[in-house]
Amino acid sequence: MSTVAAPGSRLGLDLRSPWPWLTLAALALLVVFLLMPLGNVLLGSFGRGAARSGWAMVASDPKYLQAVFNTILLGAVVTLFALLIGVPLAWFTARYDYPGKGIVAVLPLVTLVVPEVIAAQTWLMMVGNNGLVTRALAERDIALPSFYGWTGLVTVMTFTYYTYVYIGTLAAIRGFDVQLEEAAQSLGTSPAVSRWKVMLPVVLPAIAASALLVFTLVVGNFAVAMVLSNKVPLLSVLTYQASVSEVGSNPTLQSTLATLSVAIVMLALWAQRRVVARGRREVVQGRGARPQRLAGGRGALLGAAAAFVVAVSLLPVASIVVGAFTAARGPVMRWGEWTTAHLERVFTRAIDPLLNTLAYAAIATTIGITLAVLISYLVVKKRNALTPWLDYLTALPLALSGTVIGIGLLMSFNTGWLPLTGTGAIIVLAYVVRRLPFGTRNASSTLYNIPDSIEEASISLGVPPVRTFFRVVLPLMAPAIVAAAVLTWTTTVAELSASIIVYSGDRETMPIRIFRLIDSGLMAQASAYGLLLIAVIVVPIAVATKVFKIDLFASRS
Amino acid sequence: MSSPSPATAQRPGIHIEGLTVDYGGAAVIDGLALDIERGSFFTLLGPSGCGKTTLLRTIAGFVAARAGRIRFGERDVTRVPPHLRDIGMVFQDYALFPDKTVSDNVAYGLRARRVAAADVQRRVGEALERVGLSALGDRLPAALSGGQRQRVALARALVIQPQVLLMDEPLSNLDAKLRLQVRQTIAELQAEAGITTVFVTHDQDEALALSHRIGVMNRGRLEQVGTPAEIYRRPATGYVADFVGAANLLPMTLPAAVAAGERTAVTLGGAQPVSVVAQAVSALPAGAALLMARPETLVLGPGAPDALDAPDAVPVRVLRRQYLGEKTSYRVQLPGGEQLQVDRHGPGHDALQVGDAGRLRFDPASTLVLAP
Repeated sequence: MSTVAAPGSRLGLDLRSPWPWLTLAALALLVVFLLMPLGNVLLGSFGRGAARSGWAMVASDPKYLQAVFNTILLGAVVTLFALLIGVPLAWFTARYDYPGKGIVAVLPLVTLVVPEVIAAQTWLMMVGNNGLVTRALAERDIALPSFYGWTGLVTVMTFTYYTYVYIGTLAAIRGFDVQLEEAAQSLGTSPAVSRWKVMLPVVLPAIAASALLVFTLVVGNFAVAMVLSNKVPLLSVLTYQASVSEVGSNPTLQSTLATLSVAIVMLALWAQRRVVARGRREVVQGRGARPQRLAGGRGALLGAAAAFVVAVSLLPVASIVVGAFTAARGPVMRWGEWTTAHLERVFTRAIDPLLNTLAYAAIATTIGITLAVLISYLVVKKRNALTPWLDYLTALPLALSGTVIGIGLLMSFNTGWLPLTGTGAIIVLAYVVRRLPFGTRNASSTLYNIPDSIEEASISLGVPPVRTFFRVVLPLMAPAIVAAAVLTWTTTVAELSASIIVYSGDRETMPIRIFRLIDSGLMAQASAYGLLLIAVIVVPIAVATKVFKIDLFASRS
Repeated sequence: MSSPSPATAQRPGIHIEGLTVDYGGAAVIDGLALDIERGSFFTLLGPSGCGKTTLLRTIAGFVAARAGRIRFGERDVTRVPPHLRDIGMVFQDYALFPDKTVSDNVAYGLRARRVAAADVQRRVGEALERVGLSALGDRLPAALSGGQRQRVALARALVIQPQVLLMDEPLSNLDAKLRLQVRQTIAELQAEAGITTVFVTHDQDEALALSHRIGVMNRGRLEQVGTPAEIYRRPATGYVADFVGAANLLPMTLPAAVAAGERTAVTLGGAQPVSVVAQAVSALPAGAALLMARPETLVLGPGAPDALDAPDAVPVRVLRRQYLGEKTSYRVQLPGGEQLQVDRHGPGHDALQVGDAGRLRFDPASTLVLAP
């Protein structure tokens, strides 16, 4: 709301207040560090100055077409399996009490705590060619099928991503007004039919949204794909290889492949929009259902199934602890022999990845949260003709994989007016761009709950608008800001796909070092870093939730 | 309510000239002029969407004026940002700072004005005492009832001794009983402080009970400005008559032009015309006009024998009746077909039954001719 008539007020821009200027500044930042890199990627595919356009290269080699097909297939299959695990688990958790239900509550945390690269690594440590389980079974003459390829990809990604479906569906079922179901039953339909006819349509948009999220994550997934894809060509792997190939990177090809992955996500987004628009319903927060007790055989069965799912989800954490303290000679793990040598080595001789991770993530979290608070405040509270654009641009990275963002930044800031390649700044930049949508969404949902009248009350009492923001709005946002900062931190320290493209030389972060160690088969050392990485993630979460009593998932949807 | 308190001659009045406000291209307020006397309690009354809240927010400075001037006394505030206008504001949703205690809420404006800490404490204590909340200074707003919250909001707005007090539907989130209590508090505090007050409401009872003067708004214009009695007894238009209180409004034709205040005989009904004496509120030309009579000013009696022994009584038939305890509300039909609502008070007010014939008398002093 502008204060008094002034030049520019026709556009809703009161140029005497600071807000339009801040809007312009934020827009400029997003254009330079997000839109321009994306534009460079898209334009690069036509091969500026190169002999052939990237599209011709892609069309001439069946490997690339196969990769596109594989990527979509993998996305579809993993999404399906994630739904098959996540939706029933959410349904039973929302509506029934069964023995051991409490442990299911840890699931939202698991996605945060276990970085994708560690998930891939630990599965390999258990059931890979040289894995603990594989070898134990081999001694009894049981041969496990190779975990590399489709088996491993689908298994690891399903167990990495089903929690998103579980969280989204659980929130929707809990928010569903059970009176609607009762109304349907009172009108003469059976409980099962009422549920199908009344509840499913209301919950479906949330399920569809979480399915799309999983699909997007699979298409953009780099860590698991790189570790496990082996002979299955996938878009994200080929894109990465085109970008860092030892025989010289191919900028035209990398742009083309990156563009293809953007196109796949956009297509999925568009499809989901159509589904959601068709089924859009106003969900009135109503009385939630009281969970029914499920005892005896059925309860035990359900409890066992839930416990199995949780155990598999927590498997990476357990094996990383074991792996970090297991003696190893080169790539060969000596299971049963314990040592602290790996951790000692990290702290005495190879501490740089830890320090780099902490430094870059701390700077990126600070910048990212500041930007997120500013942008969400402008979008929610200081609307003008430009703020919708700010809103769209901020959400854009959701549709971009880390690989695409990394390539865009690399292409845009390699040389020219702002050469950032080789600096830590470009890593921080990649972190900020990737996580901006999440921080902004967190901050926005809190701001929507702060009525405008509170600010107006402060202003009417004589406190100018900017000072009002700091004295009234910011304190009310504080819990949400801490939650957003913790979530940003946890996902940033684990970031791999963008940083591995833009990093150089001695600027390795822990996920990059872990990835390279896995690549060399050095699982024990990778586990040592993995353990540290998980500690770096868990400690702030524990402090925020236990000491400051902050609900990390309060404003996440 | 009596005339404005004399205690506060130094408080400025509010003077608005040619005010135009746009929202997305359309004029929400168009060329409005208004003078609010210093120290008086002025109410903006109208349905939602009539522009009353926009006008209030323009006075506060939260909405920009495209044209016109707003003065507080001699001081032109049209281009002064809201935080420098020296206003106290009370909101419909209370707008208390949820993370600050009651005392800190009330102290907020004083601290912004850099009042010394000792003075802040004293003035906050006095302000809370005045609204009867001295014991609750350390509570957070969430621990208060709605009525208590609005009292805190009042104390917070008044403690800074603003030049003008602006209230945006402050009672509409409260239940009926609390509304009466807080209404009383508002009336007392305003009279005591003598601060020029603008009060926005859609509730005619509040407007009539609290105000020195009322401005009835319709589509961004002030339809009528006057004392509560003037608004009720002498509504300037059919819109005002209809919005404030219940009114029978019958379309009719003026045979000749009338002067303001002039009594004239008008004819109702086509086939079986009846003649009624009414008074013109303002000068009107011959032609289409409205006859206005409030239900309680009409006198209804049984049809036969001729109990209403008056030559100007009109024969009617009772169509419907609603027994309301202290009165009975009747719907009656004139010979020409027009229907009116009539209230009967006093002993035997429920005596007439549906279908009965009756005689109806219009009171010439309170039956009005209005512009259509």
